[in-house]
Amino acid sequence: MITSILRSLLFSLTLIAFIASCSKPKVIKDLKGESYQLVNSDSARVNFPTDYKGDVVAVTFIYTHCPDICPLITSNLSNIQDKLQDTSGIDFVEISFDPRRDTPSVLKKYKKLYGLNDQFSLLTGDTTNINKLMNRLDIVTQVTYPDSTDTTSNNYFFTHTNRLYLMDRQGRMRYQYPASAVQPQTVVSDLNTIR
Amino acid sequence: MMKKIYFLVLALFIFVGCSSKSQQDGDNNNVVFGKIELSGAWARPGAKGQNSAAYMTITNGTASTDTLIGASSNVSKKAQVHESYKTDSGETAMRPAGNLVIDSGNKLQITPGRYHIMLMNLKRDLAAGDSLDVTLNFQHVGKKTVRIPVKIQN
Repeated sequence: MITSILRSLLFSLTLIAFIASCSKPKVIKDLKGESYQLVNSDSARVNFPTDYKGDVVAVTFIYTHCPDICPLITSNLSNIQDKLQDTSGIDFVEISFDPRRDTPSVLKKYKKLYGLNDQFSLLTGDTTNINKLMNRLDIVTQVTYPDSTDTTSNNYFFTHTNRLYLMDRQGRMRYQYPASAVQPQTVVSDLNTIR
Repeated sequence: MMKKIYFLVLALFIFVGCSSKSQQDGDNNNVVFGKIELSGAWARPGAKGQNSAAYMTITNGTASTDTLIGASSNVSKKAQVHESYKTDSGETAMRPAGNLVIDSGNKLQITPGRYHIMLMNLKRDLAAGDSLDVTLNFQHVGKKTVRIPVKIQN
């Protein structure tokens, strides 16, 4: 009798654990234990994702010479922030894949012009580290020149992946979306799931 | 007799005056007088030397098709209508939109994520609350200028 009850209990607990694990978002990328040295808009060193351990992070990828989609991404992140009733423990990180032009001072100006508060980090860094991180997160970028006869100028644009990740407190990417187009409420709901 | 001559000369002046005005406004052949309207216009912030984008709705209230053939602005060295699009492999890219035809009675929406008037190489910072002039050049009605606000999209 007791054995039968224990067996039923064990089965029920196993079933509950299984259902609970199925309802958690899968790990898309696990950056736990990895560290990419970047620089923020105050020229301070930032180790990504190490320095954000313990927080939930909405992380995306832009370049400031982009006139349309990247500002749209920034605007979307800003809207997500506005929709959160409680923003404690949440960071918004935009990483530039154009470190050649996006210096800390350029990012500082972008942050100011777009009215972003201190919950936003705009990061740049050494080209090697940026490229390593972009490859790790499957962010594809390709330079395009308006004047194809001059590929040495500072006048270029990017074709690029349009993606927003949600990273959990342990540095694991758990959700991904089209950054410029995802509805803020969708991201807010998912943030609340992993925070 | 003198009165007739007077009115004839007056009519002649009016006719010549109207013709001159239509030449200043552009080639109005085959256009019934109506309006191209620019509405809902705004521009993004941007730093000097970088790029920004302007958006608006263009309504062709004339009785003829017209074509947007160019753009300029008092705050940038160059302006050009561009189109954001998704490549076959799923990335976001941008290309010049070329001339854009607007049929009579139709609207052209220049909106984020699709068309934008790229303001290239800004002559000064554009911050929320500033304003700037954008001039659109149409094949038939010629140039139309609108003063637009800079704002942060929400």
